[in-house]
Amino acid sequence: MTPQLSWYLALSAILFTIGVVGVIIKRNVISMFMCIELMLNAVNLTFVAFSSFFKDVSGQLFVFIVMTVAAAEAAVGLGIILAIFRNRESLDVDEANILKL
Amino acid sequence: MLTLLFILFAGLAIGCAVAMVAQRNPLYSAISLVGVFISLASLYVMLAAPFIAAVQIIVYAGAIMVLVIFVIMLLNVEEEDHASLRPRYLVPAAIVMAAMLFAEAAFIIYFVGDSRNTPVTNTSDVGLTMSIGTGLFTIYLLPFEITSILLLMAIVGAMTLARRGGLLSEGARVVPGMQVLPRSIVDKSSVGDAAPVVTHTTDEAAALLEGPVGTRAQTRIKDSELD
Repeated sequence: MTPQLSWYLALSAILFTIGVVGVIIKRNVISMFMCIELMLNAVNLTFVAFSSFFKDVSGQLFVFIVMTVAAAEAAVGLGIILAIFRNRESLDVDEANILKL
Repeated sequence: MLTLLFILFAGLAIGCAVAMVAQRNPLYSAISLVGVFISLASLYVMLAAPFIAAVQIIVYAGAIMVLVIFVIMLLNVEEEDHASLRPRYLVPAAIVMAAMLFAEAAFIIYFVGDSRNTPVTNTSDVGLTMSIGTGLFTIYLLPFEITSILLLMAIVGAMTLARRGGLLSEGARVVPGMQVLPRSIVDKSSVGDAAPVVTHTTDEAAALLEGPVGTRAQTRIKDSELD
């Protein structure tokens, strides 16, 4: 019995759920950032699974583009985190509730 | 055999993900996230997508996580404290939403059943670098170009965000090196003059700023020296 498509989808759903839980319960902005990365990876797994089972390369191209967007998000997001830390001396998202720095 | 490998890597991915959420120290979270990425790369190999697996390792586990760990160490963040200022309803809400999504996953497992589609065998070239390159530069050329523009915007945005000082404004600091000041900073009466005043050293810029706004510039310089 080889792995089925539904197994990969279930694994992806579980990973995405863990990411959502992390974003909700975490208070450190870097931890939240990493949970968002986890959610992006869960979606990537869905794309690759569908692409592989349906023999269509489009899904993997989307994964490639998602990875690029994630890299851009990492650069800009970490820049924002640095700016927040420089202005507030804290990484707690609850303390960064005013956009004006 | 494939089933055993799937169970192994899926369990590793879920375990690392749970550990990532459960950790209070961001550095340990980051290392657990690297474990998730490597497990997912193994799953991509099982799904006959070697190019995506390699990119996953290089871009995610390599570049992005190094960046994250660099920022964690640069900021020297302490562990999260237990004292919660959050509204009380958030944790129950998270649990309920998690239960819903796990229920959906269980629904997929038990009711969708076996797919009629079989995994790709080696006869297919889907997932190889050549097919991805062909697709990327023919059908998906426009998204590819848009992505490049996005990366350019990310470069500019990250530089603008991360540099100290930013554009010269009310809280401007005089930094060493070449300065290009709007003329209105030096002379308040020439607001509409677009020609910038160029200085080449910090002393020169400070001397120029001595005039109408000299005191503020001096305090700013002292602040930056204290840093």
